[in-house]
Formats: sequence, structure tokens, C-alpha cells
Amino acid sequence: MTSIGSFVGPLGANLWPLLTVSLQAGFLLVTVFIVKSLFTLSSAIPFRQSTRSKRSPQVAVWLLMIVFGGILIHQASWQLFGASRPKFIAFMQLHDRRLYNPAHRIQRGRILDHHGAVLAYSDERLGHVFRIYPMGEAFAHVVGYNHPWYGSTGMEAVATAPLNGGAPADLFEWGQRGRELLTGDKRPSGRDLTLTLDAGLQREAFRLLQHERGAVIAIEPTHGAIRALVSTPSFDPNRLEPALFAGRDTTTPFLNRATQGLYPPGSVYKIVLALLAIENGFVGSFESNSNGFTTSPRYRAIRDYEYYLAQNRGGTWAGHGRIDLATAFSRSSNVFFAQLGVSLGHESFYRINERLLINQQIPIAESPYGSWSMRTGSLPPLNPSDRYGLAQMSIGQGQVLVTPAYLALITAAIANGGLAVRPRLVENDTIEVLGPLTSPDHAMRLSHLLRRVVTEGTARGIARDHLPIAGKTGTAENAGGAAHSWFVGFAPAHRPRLVIAVLIEHGGAGSRVAAPLALRLFEHAAAHGLLE
Amino acid sequence: MRSGRHRDGFIASWILRTEERNLLGWCLLGIGFGFLMIWSTMIQRGIPLGIGDLLVFGGYAVALISIHLIFVLGRFQGDQILVIAVNFLCGIGMLVQYRLGSFDTQGISRPLLLYPLSLICMALLTLMVRQGRYQLLMSGMWPWFWGLFSIMVLVLLLLFGQRFRGGVYAIGLMTPSEVLKFTCGLFTASLIARYAKTLGDWRLLKTHLFSPWLIGFIGIWCLLVLLLIMLSDVGLLLILGLSLVITLYVGTWHLGYVLIAVISSGALLTLILSLFPHAVRRIDSWLDPFRDPTGGSWQVLQGLSGLYSGGLWGEGFGLGAPHFTPIASSDFVYTVIGEELGFAGTLLLLAIYALLLNRILQIASRTTSDPGRLLVVALFSTLTTQVVLNVAGVTGLIPLTGLPLPFISLGGSSLIVTLGLMAFILAISEDNGARRHVTKKTKRLHKK
Repeated sequence: MTSIGSFVGPLGANLWPLLTVSLQAGFLLVTVFIVKSLFTLSSAIPFRQSTRSKRSPQVAVWLLMIVFGGILIHQASWQLFGASRPKFIAFMQLHDRRLYNPAHRIQRGRILDHHGAVLAYSDERLGHVFRIYPMGEAFAHVVGYNHPWYGSTGMEAVATAPLNGGAPADLFEWGQRGRELLTGDKRPSGRDLTLTLDAGLQREAFRLLQHERGAVIAIEPTHGAIRALVSTPSFDPNRLEPALFAGRDTTTPFLNRATQGLYPPGSVYKIVLALLAIENGFVGSFESNSNGFTTSPRYRAIRDYEYYLAQNRGGTWAGHGRIDLATAFSRSSNVFFAQLGVSLGHESFYRINERLLINQQIPIAESPYGSWSMRTGSLPPLNPSDRYGLAQMSIGQGQVLVTPAYLALITAAIANGGLAVRPRLVENDTIEVLGPLTSPDHAMRLSHLLRRVVTEGTARGIARDHLPIAGKTGTAENAGGAAHSWFVGFAPAHRPRLVIAVLIEHGGAGSRVAAPLALRLFEHAAAHGLLE
Repeated sequence: MRSGRHRDGFIASWILRTEERNLLGWCLLGIGFGFLMIWSTMIQRGIPLGIGDLLVFGGYAVALISIHLIFVLGRFQGDQILVIAVNFLCGIGMLVQYRLGSFDTQGISRPLLLYPLSLICMALLTLMVRQGRYQLLMSGMWPWFWGLFSIMVLVLLLLFGQRFRGGVYAIGLMTPSEVLKFTCGLFTASLIARYAKTLGDWRLLKTHLFSPWLIGFIGIWCLLVLLLIMLSDVGLLLILGLSLVITLYVGTWHLGYVLIAVISSGALLTLILSLFPHAVRRIDSWLDPFRDPTGGSWQVLQGLSGLYSGGLWGEGFGLGAPHFTPIASSDFVYTVIGEELGFAGTLLLLAIYALLLNRILQIASRTTSDPGRLLVVALFSTLTTQVVLNVAGVTGLIPLTGLPLPFISLGGSSLIVTLGLMAFILAISEDNGARRHVTKKTKRLHKK
């Protein structure tokens, strides 16, 4: 009988698939014919009502049809539309040894920046598809990774179903899925995902930040488009290793510091207090001298930065004297703002924080398969009699903690006439207003204060004639070591196009570390048309 | 007159069964295509074809021809659609089992003969119990015998069976409990038919509360449920329970029984879940298959991976890799068909099951004798439950119950019992109103 093999052998290798297909077609056609004939024969002899009852067995037949139909629909949701189940695809990529399983060859969609630069793509090598991140570490926290062993994070996780082709959005895509099914395509393709990020700005931010621990977030204030979202230290999504996940690295490279990292805001938080003062129509002044301010002699006095600076040099500092809000804001006077906060009181302090969306999670990218939210901040309730605690919080110390993304969000609202727009990462996401945080008039007045910080205040080091920036520096004391360095601001000051928040952990004075970094980013943005 | 019509009888029967003959021919062609597909993939892979390989298909052809000749020569006037559907399903079963290597093709072996012999036996059994003779098995003390026989089988199994994969089996992993699908059906259908009037009327039933038949009926059923729980055979419990409820409902048209069934099945379910850890695990892996993908959900996910690989048209019969799915040849045989013949193949398979079940219901509706009608209903629910629970289980719609797919899953006892059921339904199908052949013996019984 072995002769059959050699006899049919000359058929040629390319004829085998044809034979297989025609035999299978023959089998299916004959089966269809048998089904059709059986159906015709069954309907030729109708049901007969039972003599004793009016109940028709037809009902049972309908029930049976519904059950079978339900099973087939459920089966199709796995067999034909399995790509809409990300966990299923991941399971097959990891555990299914059928080499012809299309899951191994899904041409997952690319991830692009808003100009079309490729941030992630799939490449097939030796029958397996690998995910490649050409810009590596700089985008690791935003783009994330999609790995059969380690799962997926970032936008790879949020948009995994559309990237796998499992969520057709329009008629064209449905048509494409249908063609793939009908032709038995073993290389199903997914949909590309365009992000709002600007690859150039992101890489520049990463380059400036890569030897530090910190975060940069850049938001377009009127539409909420996130242009850069950097967190350092980072990791290379092309080279994931078990050691990375062991959690031994104390620098926490997986933490997205921009959207999840909670830090004491320091002086940057005076933006909130200044807004509160403007809204309350505050026009007075406070004494700000070298003795500082405290609510009780038992507590250490809150003093200005200049006091400590002079003390370190062995000299003395005379104090600012009696100053108004604008001067205090531009010089970042702790003594002034501590008194301001205490005089405005607990109730109004908590009310404005609540309106400014503290203690919330705001989704920046969402899909039925996952969502990614930024934390705003954490402000625990305070005993109304604790005036010193309030004074501390008023200068951004004490128990108040925020994320860099949050400071960018409220600064963007101020730059946008008080209207907060939901930050978003996906280019095609709808623009969504989170609500007016304050009135256009108050926002305008606060913008002027922010501009004065750069023209004559703590950030005058980054004042440039060709690039009018408005912003606020911050130097946040913390238990872990040197102060955190902050800057948040927008440019151009009169017609804001971009908001940038910079945080450098233990970086030192905001005016000397974070602000110059922000300036370089604004300059890069200006050179590449992001401020047009 | 009788002898004069002998020749006419044969010709009339030959003409009567034309449809059956034609469509059995088509079945042979379709299944033949299937075997050609498998053989061509074997040649492609350089596996030599032996005489045994051809014998598998030969056996199928012989079975089909024999069945048709038996029915024609026996002047059988019963249903033809059932015969065609059953034979085609068995053909697919042979194909899949042959493809999965369940048959030893080196010479003539038992599994090789299983399908053809069982099919021929079905035809012979049909002729044996036709013309109302099946009613003999449902009259007198016979129902009680079937009930006690069912209990005896379970007790013996409990005493001498061996535990395997959470269940109890006889020597060689045979499942003698399969026979309960048949004996319990006879027991239940005949008693319900006999006492339908009493069972259908609550007030009348109240006066019979302590009559021996009711106590016996309930007692035997309670014992059965208890034994099945002790054997941890939840699948069979489901089949028999559903069949009891449906038969009771059709026998009495009393919705109260359905209500009682819903309540008691809820109680039973909580009992089972508290008794069997593996039942809880199955429900957990059904609720979230990805919680433990390499453990409890491995089987189902591998089956589904096979389905996904198959897509709409399938990989091609013989070209898939169903051996990656655990227990592919028995419980997960449906996913093998889905992998190799695609969604299209499973759609057609379910269509044939649907036509078969639809036909059985038609037969039930046309059967005038109560015991016959109820027996068909009982056997119908047994078959339906198996198909639905198996297919819905392996596609992840409901938790796995570990029931075989009738006619297709590997398992001699299951196949023989299922074909036995079909023989009874075929025999009853001949027995509808216009053409009643009541023998002297049953006439006597009817007078009683």
C-alpha cells in the first residue's frame, strides 16, 4: 500500500492545497445538500396537534432554535471575533502551540505620534510577531508594552483590542474583518492608533531628564492634547527582563511619575491660594519679615526662602516688608501666603480645592478594555482648629500632595480662561470639558500674576524677549532629602498654546533647575511650531 | 391474500424508502470526501495508507447498505429522516475518531467494528421492538424492573468502580451508567403514562399520597439522585433530572412540576457545590477563564484556541493540531470539528442535530399511544440535554459538565446506548395512528 504515496507523489507540492480545498468544499457542499433535503422532507410532514392538548410542539422547536442560535453566537464571539478578547489573544500567543494559529501572526496596529512618527510596530520573524518600540525608553510609560509573558501596560493595554483588530469602528473596517474571515487570512491586521504626543518634544524632554528622577507633562490647554508625558527613570520596552519586575529597583522605573506620582507641591501650590484670594476680592497686604509667621509659639515659624539663603551665607535678611498679593506671588513669599491661607479660612480652602478636582482620578485614555487615569492629588481632611496645618498647606507643604499632571491641568485651565479640558492621549478622542474651574476674569488676573513671576519674580532667569512665558516655580521640602524642584507654566503668555509642568525629585531650587528645563522645552516647542 | 401481496410489499417498501436510499447515498459521498481529505493529508505527511484505513470507510458503507436493506426487507414503514440524520452523524463521528487515531487500523479491531456493528444492531433492534412491541417493556411490572435495574447498576458501580478524573468508571474506563439514559427513560415514561390522570390533578394526587406506586416512584428517584451524587456524576444527574421534568410536564401539562423542579434543582445545586470541590472549580473557571488559564481553564481555553485557529472555514480536515486540546476525542470533539472544518462545519453539524431533534418532536406529536409518546419525549430530552450541555460547555457558554456529544464522542457504551434509544424512537415512529400494527399480545394488554 505504500505505493499509493509514491504514486500520488508526482502530483506536486503546489497541488496539495488545491486538492484539500476542493475536497473540503465537496464535503461542505454535500453536507449542505443533506441538510437542505432533510429540511424539505421534515416540512413536508407537518406537526400534528396532540389529540388531548392544544399545546404545540412548535414551541419546543423554537426554544431549541434559540438555544442553538445562542450557542453559535457565543461560539462566534470566540472563533470569529476572538480578537475582541485581549486576554484570549494573549493566552493563545503565550500558550497555544498550533503554529497556524492567526494569533501568532496578528499584524497589530502601529502606535503613532500626531505627525505620524512610529512609536510602536509589529514585525514578524520566524513565524512569530514581535513588538518593536523604535524610540524605546523615552515613550515607555505612555506607549507601554505588549508582551506575551509580562502582559501589557500604557496605551498598548488601553487600546489593545482595536490594535489587534478586535474593535472595528466603521464600515470599512468591518469589511476588512469580513474579508479576512472569508479568505481565512492567517495574518489579520489591526488598526493603527494615533496619539496626541509630539515625538520631538517628548524625546527632548526625556533627553533633558534622563539622568534625574522626575517627570514632564506638556498639555495643549484649549483641546487637552497631551504633547509630552515623560517619567524618569525609565525602562526599555524592547528589553523586558524578569529582573525588572522583581521590584528590587528602588528607583521604581515602572512608576509613571507624571500621572501617578504624588509629591508635595511647595510654592507652585500658591497658584491655588492666589486664585482663592482673587476670587475673594482680596486687596490687602501682609507683613512679611524675617521673623516669619506662626499660629502659635509652640510651632516653628514659617519663613521665606531668602531668610534661609541669608542664614546659610552667614548674613541676615531684612524681610520683604508689607507686600501685596502680586509682589508676594512673584517673590513666592511663604510668610505672606501662610497668613493669607489662615485668614481666608478652612472652609474656603477646602471648597476651592474640591472645585479644582483634588482627590480624583481623571481618565486620560479610555476604552471598554481598560482605562488609564491620572491622579490629581491627595488632600486629607484637616481639623478646623488646626490653623498651623492650614498655614503649612497654604504654602504647599504639610499633608497636601499632587501629581505633575494635576498642576499642568489646573494651569491649563487658567491659561484657557478658567475652563478645564480633559487631558487626552488619543488623537481622535472627543474633546471633553471638565468644567469651569474659575471665571474668565479671575483666570485672566491670575495669568497676569503668573507672567509677573517670569518678568520680575523668582523665574526671571528664564525671561526671554522672543518667548513670553508665564509660570510659577516651586521648591518643595520633603522628608527624603533635598527639595523637589518644580516649575509649571505656559507660553506664549498672552495667547497660551502649551502648558508644561516639570518636576525633578530632590532637584533643589525650582528657579535654578526646573524652570530652565521648562525654558528649553518651550524653546524646542517654539522652534517646531507647537506654539503657533 | 397475505402471500399474494408479498412481492408488492417488497416493491412498495422499496419505493417507500426511496428518499432514505438517495440520501444515504449522499451521506456516503459526503463522508467519502471526508475520508479522502484525511487520506490525502496522510499521504502528504508520508504516512503509508494500509488496508485497515480503507476498511474504516468500507465498514461505514456496509453499515449504510445493510441498514437500508434490513428496513426494506422488514417492510419497515417508520421514519426515514431519522435514519439519514443518525447515519450521517455517525459518519462524522467515525471520521473524527479515525482522524484522531482512535481506531487501530492494523487489522480488524473492536473500535473499528464499533460503529458499523452498532448501526446494524440499531436497525435490527428497531425491527424487534416495532409494531407496539416496545410497549411490552412498559407494561405490567416492567417499569419497576427498569427502576430497580438502574439502581442496581449504580450500586455495583459504586462498589466495584474505579475513580478517575473525579468520576467513577468500571474496568477499562467503561461507563455502564450510560445504560441509565435508557432504563430510566423506560421507567419514568411508562409510570407517568400509566398514572397521568392522577399526576395531572393535585386533588386526586392528594388521595393517592400513600399509594405504593407513588411512594415507589419517588423512592426510586430519590435513591437514584443519591447514588448519582455519591458517584459524583453530575452530568448524568442533569440528563436524567431534565428528562424526568420534561416527561412529567408533557405527560400532565401541569406547570407545577416545572416549578417544583426549578426549586429542587436550586437546592440540589447548592448541595452539589458544597459537596464537590471540582464542581466549584468548574464554575470558577467558567466565570473567569483567565484567572487560572494554565490550570482549571486550560482545557476550555485550548479548545477555544483550536476554534479560533479554525476560523470560518477551518484548517482543513486532517490538517489541524487537535492533539493540543486535552481529551479531544471525547468531551472536546466539537472543538476539533470547529478547528478543522471551521465555524461553517459546526454550523452544519448543529443544523443536522437540530433537524434530528425537530424530527423526534414531530414523531412525538404524531404518536397517539401515551406510553410511546412519553418515551419519545423522555429520550428526546436525554439527547437534547447531552448535545446542548456538551456544545455550550466546550464553547464556554456554561460550565463544563463532562458529557459526551451523542454519536460523535469516543465511547462505546455511549454510542451503543444512544443508538439503542434511536431504535426505540424509530420503532415508535412507525406506530402513528393510521398504520397501527397491534399484535395479539399487546391487544390483550390493552384490554386489561
